[in-house]
Amino acid sequence: MRHITVTINGERYERDVAEHRTLLHFLRDDLGLTGTKEGCGAGECGACTIIMDGRAVNSCLVLAMEADGAALETIEGAAAGGELSVIQQAFHDHHAVQCGYCTPGMVMSATDLLRRNPNPSREEIIDGIEGNFCRCTGYQQIIEAIEAAAGATGTAAGKEADHA
Amino acid sequence: MLENTPVAELKNVGRKTDRIDSVVKLTGEATYVSDMTLPGMLYARVKASPHARARIVSIDTSRAQALSGVRAIVTGEELDYRLGLYVVDKAILAKGEVRHFGEAVAAVAADTLEIAKRAVDLIDVEYEELEPVLHPLEALKEDAPLVHPKLGEYSYMEAAFTPKPGTNVANHTKLRKGDTERAFEACEWTIERTYTNPSVQHVPMETHVAIVQWGHDDEVSIWSSAQSPFTLRNLFCTAFGLSHRNVRVQVPYVGGGFGGKAGIGIEPLVAVLSRKAGGRPVKLTATREEEFSLLPCRSQLTYRIKTGVSKDGKILAQELTMYWDSGAYADYAVNVTRASGYSAGGPYDIPNAKVDAYTIYTNKPFGTAYRGFGHVEFFWGLERHMDLVAEAIGMEPLEFRLLNALKPGSTTLTGEKITANTGNIAKCLQTAADSIGYRALTDQEKAREKATGLKIGKAVVGLHKAPAMPPFTATTVILKMNEDATVTANLSLVDYGQGTYTSIAQIIAERLGFPLERVKIAFESDTDRDPYDWQTVASKGLLLSGNAAILAAEDLLKNAYEVAAQALRANTVDLAHDGERIYVKHHPDSAVTFRQLAIGYAFPDGNSIGGPLVGVGRYIAQGLTHLDKETGQGLPALDWTYGAHGMIVEVDRETGEYNVLKVVSVFDVGKVINPDAVRGQAIGGMLQGLGTAVCEGYIYDRKGHLLNPSFTDNKIPTARDLPFEVEAIAIETPQIDGPYGARGVGEHSMIGVAAALGNAIQHATGAQLTHMPIRYEDVWRALGKKEPVDNWITKSPYGSCRSAPEIQKYDC
Amino acid sequence: MTRLRGAPEPKAVPLLHEFSYVAHRSLDELLSFLAHHGDETQVFSGGTDLFVNIRAGLAAPRYVADLKSVSDLHEIAFNEREGLSIGACATVNELIANDTVRDRYAVLRTAAEQLATFQLRNRATVVGNIVTASPCGDMTSPLLCLGTDVVLVSVRGERRVPLGEFITGVKTTQIATDEIVTRVIVGTGRIDAAGGYRKLKRIKGHDLGVVAVALIKSMPAVRVAISSAAPTPVLLPEFGADAPVAEIQASAQAAISPIDDVRCTAEYRRFMVDVYIRRLMEEVPA
Ligand SMILES: Cc1cc2nc3c(=O)[nH]c(=O)nc-3n(C[C@H](O)[C@H](O)[C@H](O)COP(=O)(O)OP(=O)(O)OC[C@H]3O[C@@H](n4cnc5c(N)ncnc54)[C@H](O)[C@@H]3O)c2cc1C
Ligand code: FES
Ligand code: FES
Repeated sequence: MRHITVTINGERYERDVAEHRTLLHFLRDDLGLTGTKEGCGAGECGACTIIMDGRAVNSCLVLAMEADGAALETIEGAAAGGELSVIQQAFHDHHAVQCGYCTPGMVMSATDLLRRNPNPSREEIIDGIEGNFCRCTGYQQIIEAIEAAAGATGTAAGKEADHA
Repeated sequence: MLENTPVAELKNVGRKTDRIDSVVKLTGEATYVSDMTLPGMLYARVKASPHARARIVSIDTSRAQALSGVRAIVTGEELDYRLGLYVVDKAILAKGEVRHFGEAVAAVAADTLEIAKRAVDLIDVEYEELEPVLHPLEALKEDAPLVHPKLGEYSYMEAAFTPKPGTNVANHTKLRKGDTERAFEACEWTIERTYTNPSVQHVPMETHVAIVQWGHDDEVSIWSSAQSPFTLRNLFCTAFGLSHRNVRVQVPYVGGGFGGKAGIGIEPLVAVLSRKAGGRPVKLTATREEEFSLLPCRSQLTYRIKTGVSKDGKILAQELTMYWDSGAYADYAVNVTRASGYSAGGPYDIPNAKVDAYTIYTNKPFGTAYRGFGHVEFFWGLERHMDLVAEAIGMEPLEFRLLNALKPGSTTLTGEKITANTGNIAKCLQTAADSIGYRALTDQEKAREKATGLKIGKAVVGLHKAPAMPPFTATTVILKMNEDATVTANLSLVDYGQGTYTSIAQIIAERLGFPLERVKIAFESDTDRDPYDWQTVASKGLLLSGNAAILAAEDLLKNAYEVAAQALRANTVDLAHDGERIYVKHHPDSAVTFRQLAIGYAFPDGNSIGGPLVGVGRYIAQGLTHLDKETGQGLPALDWTYGAHGMIVEVDRETGEYNVLKVVSVFDVGKVINPDAVRGQAIGGMLQGLGTAVCEGYIYDRKGHLLNPSFTDNKIPTARDLPFEVEAIAIETPQIDGPYGARGVGEHSMIGVAAALGNAIQHATGAQLTHMPIRYEDVWRALGKKEPVDNWITKSPYGSCRSAPEIQKYDC
Repeated sequence: MTRLRGAPEPKAVPLLHEFSYVAHRSLDELLSFLAHHGDETQVFSGGTDLFVNIRAGLAAPRYVADLKSVSDLHEIAFNEREGLSIGACATVNELIANDTVRDRYAVLRTAAEQLATFQLRNRATVVGNIVTASPCGDMTSPLLCLGTDVVLVSVRGERRVPLGEFITGVKTTQIATDEIVTRVIVGTGRIDAAGGYRKLKRIKGHDLGVVAVALIKSMPAVRVAISSAAPTPVLLPEFGADAPVAEIQASAQAAISPIDDVRCTAEYRRFMVDVYIRRLMEEVPA
């Protein structure tokens, strides 16, 4: 057990944590932030994608210990102030959600993508979400949602940056 | 897309409508069983068999037992329960013998997952390895080891299935229509070939997970990531001899199922752990690896098709033989066999048919329901074969299909008469063909071929499927009016991603004449609080529950009208309503609001009538019959959904690599209730079908070890695997008994995709492919006329799904 | 009756085996820790191989030592004399984003872009890829083509080993338990070479290389390395600028020893190596 301090969606969390604990399990089991999902535990599926110090990572392959002092963004923080982010809204509008299990990771990847590249081509969108499996949607409606969110990015970028 | 949908008059049905469940899923609020913890909850892990077949000599749990924090350990010996949907053949934990790699032999519940894992590692199991039987055709041989020597003692559903004690045959489905022997004699051509495909994993993104608490007085609570709460409860009660009133199943949000969560899975195992741990709740979450071998998969199939054709290209006779690899247990595989058997000829008019479909036990992880329920597998062979026959008789493949397509007046294999309202397969085929410019390459495509050096091919395939369900399949919807005149619907059809709840909300809103915002569908299902539904499978949900929802809405209105009639001192026939009020037609100012009626109407003096408004809608499938066991004749189909896929691929003739340029999927859905949902099902299923076609499938070594039980070597499609262009088109030939004319389309999108790919590749290059998945190497081998790869590890037919020597010689 | 202990257990470990996490601030501290505990420690940077291995029960260290806490191991630096130095903690995405890599070591970037997924590359390191020494490592072949040395340090001192010698077999290297790789140095000898990397995958999306070929034209020489076709990635002897394709292919066929496995047959691997060599020879400008 070691003591760590992590900032998640702008809030500080201090906890004693087992040293072998993955960041994913720390979030889900120790903090009860179960929005982030586990689909494989092995880096393949992207369901566990969160943003750590500004970078999208597979939280199943990160130790909680590594997050000591880090700033994390998870799905729970995506709808800042109770309002869906531009990306979440676009997913909603485009039926980009079916069972919803890939959705949190997908939204985090899309969020990271549009920050890096506010006007991605279809090819660049695919690059950004290739690491996120979705077994339900066939991706088409997700890609369309991201395209639409990018189209709205003038507003999105500002809003995203606000709660980054 | 879906532009041909008439939306006039209807206010909700057919209109663009947002999903009612996407916001909670987008914010991470939606709670899945995998997210749940209960007070005092223990964590379970399973000890799995490393062998495909072995005698369990001994299990020593003493070292595990000694570990602090271990609360319960169970092994097969101490349990005397049998499970089974249709054939009761499975123990909760392997007993005496393990029958497949990955089968559970012991399980532990402990304070933490870490302790449970350590305990499992400390359980010593001594095995005596036995020779496994791995290929279904090997399993049919006289001297094959028996996977279930006691098959004759098992109980089974006798109306539908025929196990053969003393063999490995779990079921033999027979169908006889007309006289095939005579018909073949009259044929100008007889063409025969065999097609194969391996077992495949469903890969829901949420793996199987359950929490069970076995409380005092055998009151059992189950939370499960399951598709069918009532079937789960029923099978659970049957296995343990409990009354249905004792067992409560709750299903919150479910992260995908695709058939893999249709029946009963890990729940009984978790239950016995909880019971042994003194009633503490126990949670078991399958790892992704366990998903491949502890839990069931889709069955492997070897399909031999013999087709006889007349001079003018009419199919006169078909002999269809299916060898379904059940794996170690029968589960849904026997019913996949049955449903595929009566559907085996596809959407074509076949006057004479002989179908023999066998479900065969082997020592492999067992087969279950998977989106398409056998049709994805056999349509691979069937629609490849249609192309082969067309080629052999010198007819254009689409023309050949259109000539033989079912039309009003034709009869299906089981003798059902097709009517104008059954659906229009010819229109599906034509529409798909038009959408991909089937008949010729465009100038653009020709230029592309020139620039890339790749060869472009196009194909169109047809498909059909009816729900595979018992004739008595039924459901109920209960609609409750809230104080503010909103309504809440309870049903236990589960929406595990399909979007059915949104469509049902639209139907209820439409029927009530309320805006959609006033309709809530309670998302979690609970067998204690919700009314019965058979199962969430078979693409029957929208039709049955949609009809029940309409009846519930009508019942609610009828009840409201009765109270309103008293309140307004009017006849019910003189009343009408809008979204807010019930009023007297010729004195519209004489009205009561739904709010006033919601929990009972109070007169000004306080006297009250009515009471809380509810509406109940019950619906049961109409007019279906069992099938005759000798001839397969009868009426099994609630509705037939027809469809077609058109595909354009480009192929590298040197290496066998290919790109899918376009897929168009067309379905006769009767009536589009929610355009985006239909599109989501169409494209999502198409890509899942493409996964099956391109890359997915179990690979074993000759001892029956599964070699690719993870995403490392069992790839599934990513965003990059989506074809460059995808299109979904709905045809609307109304289903007379469907809600607003709708029929199901949840599974159909996956069916036939593989054959479309195989046919398009063949049209581009001439490669003759009879096995899916179609890996680049397979195309390369087919083009170079090299031996296909049987099994990459052993080069032996054992463990391979591709072929067995004795049937290869029938190949043409 | 056989008691089969060594038979493959169905791999299914939902969580990490328990270990202690150590993170040293300085290289010296880390090295002296490894001098004492090296045989029960795994260092890591991205953890994208290590934690996968621990989860699968293939590694069970008592300690894991995080290299990222040590300063000075992150840098990707270039100077004309030494060449390109890639620090132990430099991620694959950092390599892709590096201007010098883009302008002067293009083949590295081409290969890096084909490694795993975007979020994984945010963690996966170039050095981790090499030390893992998988036959299919995407960074190894291009680095072999370019000529790369591996810098190893321990309390016993520093040594510099050519990459080709560093990797000794399937997932084995020369590294001693008390050593770490601080960086790799890509020499200047083949700077500005045009190159290409072709990787066969089973799907269009992310996948390990079923077989892969890296080829650079560093005039007057052509260099070729091949992954997933032998126990280690294989660098072929250098060819002259006008070497016929058939000569390179023959040399490749003699050097590789592919196997049949779940991903592919040896036969197809051999075939694709020839195809890739020919296509790369055609498409890489001289
Ligand atoms: C889903 C997935 C997909 C992948 N796809 C690919 C792919 O397409 N191509 C590919 O090549 N690889 C792939 N990999 C493997 C992996 O991501 C790469 O090998 C990566 O580059 C490893 O880097 P790392 O920093 O994460 O290594 P780590 O896991 O941190 O370390 C790997 C090994 O090297 C040792 N090590 C690391 N750094 C040092 C050092 N400085 N000194 C001494 N020892 C050290 C560690 O002890 C460990 O044994 C994939 C992995 C996953 C999980
Ligand atoms: S759970 Fe992390 S990538 Fe699958
Ligand atoms: S919505 Fe189910 S996995 Fe993506």
